[in-house]
Amino acid sequence: MKDSPDRVRAAYERLLSLYPRGFVERYADDLLQAFDDRRSEARFTGTMGGLRLVLFLLRDFVTSVPMTHERRTERRGVDGIMNDIIRDLRFSVRMLLKNPMFTLAAVTTLALGIGLNAATFSAVHGLLLSPLPGAEDPDELVQLYREWPGIEFGSNSVPHYQDLRDRTPDVFENVSSWYFEPLSVSSDGRTERTIGMVVSANFFQTFGAIPQLGRPFLPGVEDRDPGAHAVAILSHGFWETRFGADPEIVGHTISLNGHPFEIVGVSPSDFQGPVSFAAPPIYVPLMMADVMGGGSNQLAARGSNRMNVVARLHDETTLIRAKQSLDAVLLQLREEYPDFYEDQLDHTVVMQRDAGIHPSFADAQTGMSTVMMVVVGLLLLIACVNVANLFLARARDRRREMGIRLSMGATRSRIIQQLLTESFLFSVIAGGAGLALANVTNGLLTSFSLPIDGPWAFNVETDSTVLWFTVGVSLAAGFIFGMAPALQSARSDTATAIKGESSDKVGRSRASNALVIAQVALSLLLLISSGLFLRSLQAATQIDPGFDSPGNLLMASVDPGLQGYDEARGKAFWDRMLEDVSALPEVSGVGLTSSAPLGLGSSDRSVEVPGYEFAEGERSSLHYTYVSEGYIEAMGIDLVEGRSFARQDDDSGPPVMIVNERFADRFWGDQSALGKTVRAAGRDWEVVGVVETGKYNSLGEDPTEFMYFPQRVLYRSDMAIVARSEGDPQIVLQRIQELVRAADPEMPVYDVRSMEDHMGIALLPARLGGAVLGIFGLLGLTLAAVGIYGVMAYSVSQRTRELGIRVALGADRASVLQLVLSEGLKLALIGTAIGLAGALAAARLVRGLLYNASPLDPIAFTLVPATLLAVAALAVYLPARRAARVDPIGALKSE
Amino acid sequence: MYTRNRTLHVTSSDDLDAVLPLSPTSFHVLVAMAGGPRHGYAIAQEVEELTSGRLVMGPGTLYGSLQRMTAAGLIEEATNPGEDGLHASRRRYYQMTPLGGTALRAESERLLHAANVARERLGT
Repeated sequence: MKDSPDRVRAAYERLLSLYPRGFVERYADDLLQAFDDRRSEARFTGTMGGLRLVLFLLRDFVTSVPMTHERRTERRGVDGIMNDIIRDLRFSVRMLLKNPMFTLAAVTTLALGIGLNAATFSAVHGLLLSPLPGAEDPDELVQLYREWPGIEFGSNSVPHYQDLRDRTPDVFENVSSWYFEPLSVSSDGRTERTIGMVVSANFFQTFGAIPQLGRPFLPGVEDRDPGAHAVAILSHGFWETRFGADPEIVGHTISLNGHPFEIVGVSPSDFQGPVSFAAPPIYVPLMMADVMGGGSNQLAARGSNRMNVVARLHDETTLIRAKQSLDAVLLQLREEYPDFYEDQLDHTVVMQRDAGIHPSFADAQTGMSTVMMVVVGLLLLIACVNVANLFLARARDRRREMGIRLSMGATRSRIIQQLLTESFLFSVIAGGAGLALANVTNGLLTSFSLPIDGPWAFNVETDSTVLWFTVGVSLAAGFIFGMAPALQSARSDTATAIKGESSDKVGRSRASNALVIAQVALSLLLLISSGLFLRSLQAATQIDPGFDSPGNLLMASVDPGLQGYDEARGKAFWDRMLEDVSALPEVSGVGLTSSAPLGLGSSDRSVEVPGYEFAEGERSSLHYTYVSEGYIEAMGIDLVEGRSFARQDDDSGPPVMIVNERFADRFWGDQSALGKTVRAAGRDWEVVGVVETGKYNSLGEDPTEFMYFPQRVLYRSDMAIVARSEGDPQIVLQRIQELVRAADPEMPVYDVRSMEDHMGIALLPARLGGAVLGIFGLLGLTLAAVGIYGVMAYSVSQRTRELGIRVALGADRASVLQLVLSEGLKLALIGTAIGLAGALAAARLVRGLLYNASPLDPIAFTLVPATLLAVAALAVYLPARRAARVDPIGALKSE
Repeated sequence: MYTRNRTLHVTSSDDLDAVLPLSPTSFHVLVAMAGGPRHGYAIAQEVEELTSGRLVMGPGTLYGSLQRMTAAGLIEEATNPGEDGLHASRRRYYQMTPLGGTALRAESERLLHAANVARERLGT
C-alpha cells in the first residue's frame, strides 16, 4: 500500500474537475499544496487517518463545489432553469385549459390507472408487506409452529407453549401466545357476541405495546393460577365505540361469557393485535382460558393445539440459533411425554414480517398479490399507452408550433423540456386524482365485511409508503407517455413543419399503430384472465357440495357455554331447541352440527382402523363433525348404506358413527363398512351408516374422508342449528332467533344465515378474483376501445384530403368504408393474436387459483376475443363512416 | 472595485454594506489575517485554532472562500515574503485590504454589541 497516498492524491487531482474551470486554473497548485499539507497532519496518517482524510475531503467537496459554482449559477443557472420551469409550467397550464376535453380524458384515464395501482398496493402492503402496526422492533418477532406429517404450520397447546416459554430464555426475550375466543360481552344491560383474544400474561410486553390507560397483564403474576385472574384489557377501538372513551374505565367490571371481569387497561391506539386482518376488542389472560371456554380443559390438555405463539428474539440471536434451541426442547419433550411427541417432526420458525395472514397461505398470498399487481400494472400500462396516444396525436397538431419555435432558435432540449414538463404536470394532477380514487377504494375495502361474524379490521390505509409508491408510479407514467411524443416532436423538420405538410406521416402512424396493437393485446390478456375466473366461479357453483338446495337451508349458531351453562344444562337447552324448531310449521327438518361444511374452521382427529396399517407419513388425522339426529336428513345428505343417527344414540349404548363413502372405500374397499370399528377419541365406534361424499373444507377439494359422531355422546356446547325451510327463509331465521331468546333472553345468537350465504365463504376467493378482474378487464376494454377510436378518428381526419381525392376519382363510398375499416381491423387482429398468446402463457400461472375450470377454457378463449373484436370494429366503424361521407370538393379545398 | 479602494484608501459605506454582515468563515479568515499576510494553509490552521477546532477548512472550502473574499475586495494577494520553508516560493500569500479591515472592525463591533445585549438580558 506504499503507493496509496499517491493514488489518493491522483484521485483528488482528478476530482478537481468538479470545480469550475476558472477556479481550477487559478488555484489548482494551491489546492494540491493544501492537500499535501493536510495529508502530512498527524490525524490524517495511518489507516484510520486515511479514512478520516477521505471523509474530510468528501465533506469539503460537498460544501465547496456548489460555493465555487454559485457565481455562474446566480446569473444564469438555477435562476435561469427556474425561470424556464415556471414559464413551462405556465404554458402547460394554458395548454391544458385550452383543450379541456383532451385534459379531462387524459387525466381520467391516467387517474384510473394510478388509483387502482395505489389501492391495490395499499391492500397488498397493508395485509402482507408492512410490519405489524404498533409493535416495537417488529423484525425481532417470530412465530413458532409445530410440524407434523402433512402439517407444516401446526398450532401449539397451552402446556407445550409453557414449555417453550420456560425452556428457551437463551434465545427468546419473551415467548407469548394467543388465540381467538368467542365472547359474549355484557355491560350496562347490553349483551353482544364478539371474538376476543385469550393471551399469555406477557403478550403486551412481547409486542412492546404499552397500554394507553391502566396496565398490561402481569407476567409472573397473572400466568400462575388457573381461573384466578378475572381481568381484561380493552382494545382502543372497543373502548371508544362501546365505552365512549371513558377515561375512568379502568376498574370497571364487565361480564364476559357470564363471568365478571375487571377492566385493568386499554391497549394503545396503534396496536391492533397480532394479526393484520382483525382487531380483537377484548384481551383476557390465558389463565382464564378454561373459564371462558365453558368448562373446557385447555390449560392442562397437552393434545389440544389451538394457540399461536409469537416470540421476541434476543438481540444478535439468529433464526438458526433459535431453531437449535427449539430442537433441543423437542428432544426433551419427546423423552418426557412420548405419547404426545411421537408424531411431531419439528418446529417451524417464521419471521413475523414474512408470515402475512398465515404462513400456510404464503404461496396463495404471494400468488394472488402478484397477479393483482401485474394486472393493475397492465392496466396502468394500457392507460399510459392511451394517454401517450392522445399526446402523440396532439404533438402532430403542434408540429407547426414546434417548427416555428425551432426556427426561432429554441434548442431541441428546451422543447423536450417543455413537453416533459407538460406530461409531468399531467401525471401530478392525475396522481392526485388517482390518490383520491385509491382512498375511496380503500374506504370500501375497509368497510367490506366478510360473510362471517368477527372483529375484522383490514389494515389498509394510504400511508406514506403508499404515497411514495403513487408518486413513483405517477412520475414513471408521466415519463412513459411523455417521452415518446417529446422525442418525436423535437425531431421535427423545421421547414416542412411550418409549411404544415405531413411528410413523415408514415413514421408517425407506425408509432400510433404499435400503440393500438399493444392496447388490444393487453386488454385481451386482462379480459381472458377475468373470463377464466368467472368461468371458474361458474364451475364452482355447479359443484355438488353433497347436500341439497342450500338456499332453503338455514343456520344459526349458539353457544350456551358462553353463558356459563354446564353440560347438563347445555344438553337440556339443545334438546329444547331441537323440539321447538322442528315444531315450526315452515320447517321440514332440523339438526345440530358442531361445524357446518365449507366454513372456515375444520376439526380433525387421528383414528385407528383395526385391520388397516397406515403407511409411513400417511395422514391418519381425519375431518369430522358432531351432529345430532335429524342433521343428515335436514341437510339432504344421501344415505348410501345403513341408518342415520337416532335420539337413542347417546352415551348409554355402544358408541356408533357414520362415515362417508370415501372413508369406507379407503379403509374397507369392497367390503361393507357397516359393523366395522373405528378407534378415535379413546373409544371404539361402530359404523352404522355410510353417506355420500360431499365437500367439507372447500368446493375445489379432492374427495375427502369424513366422520360424523353423535353429539349426544361427545358433548360440545357451541353448535349450529341447521333447519330446512319450506317457507320464506328470512322468516324462519327470525323464528329460530325468537325461540333461542325465549329459552334464554341473554343468549347471543351468531352466524345467522342461509347455507347459501355460508357457502359464500368458500366461494369468496373466486368471487373476489372474478369481480376484481372483471371490473379491471372491462376498464381495459373501455380504454382500448377509446384508444382505437381516437387513433382511427385522427387518422381519418388526417387523410381527409386523400380520401376526398379517391372519392373524386370515382371510388364509391362502400370501398372507402372498406378501406378504412380493414386498416383498423388489421390492427385489432394483430393485437388479438398477440394478446391470445400472452393469455395462454398467463393461464398457466393462474391455474392453481381456478376451481375445476380448465385454464384453456374454450368459452373464455373464444367469446372474449370475439367481444373485443366487435368492440374494436365499432370503434373503427364510426370514423370509417365519417370517411365515407367525405365531401370531395371540401376535402380538396381544405389544405 | 478593490482597485479603487487600494489606490484611494477610501471605503465608501456602499462597499461596506455590500460585504456586511460577514459570514462566520470570512470573519475568522480576516481575524487570521489581521496579524499580517498569510498563505492559504496557514490561514486554515489559524482559523482552526481560533475556533477551537470547530471550523476545519478543506482545500476547496479554503480557496473557495479566498476567491470569494478576493472578489468582494476584502482581501488581496500579497507578495511572497519568501521566508517559509521548502515550497515557500510556490505558495500564494494573502493580506487584508483596507475594506477588509473596516469590515472586520464593523463586524466585531456588531458582534460585541450583540453579545453585550445578550449578557445584559441574561443578567450575567
